[in-house]
Amino acid sequence: MNNKFDALKDDDSGDHDQDQSSPKDSEKIKIEDDEKEQNTTKKKMAVPGAGEHPLQYNYTFWYSRRTPGRPASTQSYEQNIKQIGSFASVEQFWRFYSHMIRPGDLTGHSDFHLFKEGIKPMWEDDANKMGGKWIIRLRKGLASRCWENLILAMLGEQFMVGEEICGAVVSVRFQEDIISIWNKTASDQATTARIRDTLRRVLNLPPNTIMEYKTHTDSIKYSLGRLPWAGEC
Amino acid sequence: MSAGGQTTTSLEIPAVRRVAIHDAAHMPHEYSTTPGGTLFSTTPGGTRIIYDRKFLLQCRTSPLARTPPQNLPDIPGVTRPLNSDSSHDTKNPVEAPTTNNHDTDVHTEEGEDAQFEMDI
Repeated sequence: MNNKFDALKDDDSGDHDQDQSSPKDSEKIKIEDDEKEQNTTKKKMAVPGAGEHPLQYNYTFWYSRRTPGRPASTQSYEQNIKQIGSFASVEQFWRFYSHMIRPGDLTGHSDFHLFKEGIKPMWEDDANKMGGKWIIRLRKGLASRCWENLILAMLGEQFMVGEEICGAVVSVRFQEDIISIWNKTASDQATTARIRDTLRRVLNLPPNTIMEYKTHTDSIKYSLGRLPWAGEC
Repeated sequence: MSAGGQTTTSLEIPAVRRVAIHDAAHMPHEYSTTPGGTLFSTTPGGTRIIYDRKFLLQCRTSPLARTPPQNLPDIPGVTRPLNSDSSHDTKNPVEAPTTNNHDTDVHTEEGEDAQFEMDI
């Protein structure tokens, strides 16, 4: 069906940041500084409260949305992504999560990102630029449950890959949803294999679900070939 | 695998479980386990904080986990339902509409206190 093609043409999670960010270095740095000012100067680092259960790392929730139909390259990814908040304990996590709409109920072309504090959910971040992600495409109806299981596994340190995990993303798209988990070193096959095995264990996926690993640099190369003007020749 | 392993219901969830051993014979046999059976990953410098899914879900019911965060940004459709002026939903709002319908036409849908008055 043509609709399915449209969904595939639409970027899977994380790709739109590569489409849109086509940065000149000076421009990119300026945007990052502005964002840093907006997002971090007023905030102290999160700390666990009294009686709360600390997490191994602090994490930050982000939200992004793209107006469908707008060419990806005319929007700055940094402008479309917004911090929701950071947390340092299990209880603080629930305070955020319980007051956020579940992915299955999001509208439009939207993403939630949950990344370790200090790592931006974009491939240009130092933690991500040599990294990659496992992506799992889900039919509609599964994203909320799978996202929850994914982030609980991440927060609970179930992946057992040292410092490698960067964060997780859930992407709501036209006829499917995508969850992904990002790690620092795409070439570390022991790590990526262990992440894949943990995903199978914790996510309870439907049989025949395909998991795909993509390096971020591959995603950029591939997505460049799919920019709107390239397809219209 | 979680840190909150006690089963007595009258105690609060313990933040830390400490096991004191005074005898080398009590050390666990496996390199990566600690006394009491909790498995920690073998990172240099020792232990890692690990929680299993069940434990994390149990923490959700604690009073510390319920209040909205102070600095939650107001994003309609994300941090609050699209069609309410104020939302007290702490559960997952299953009834939240998935499209941008006009709530004044379906003001009984949410089943809570009516937040809209129709201008007739």
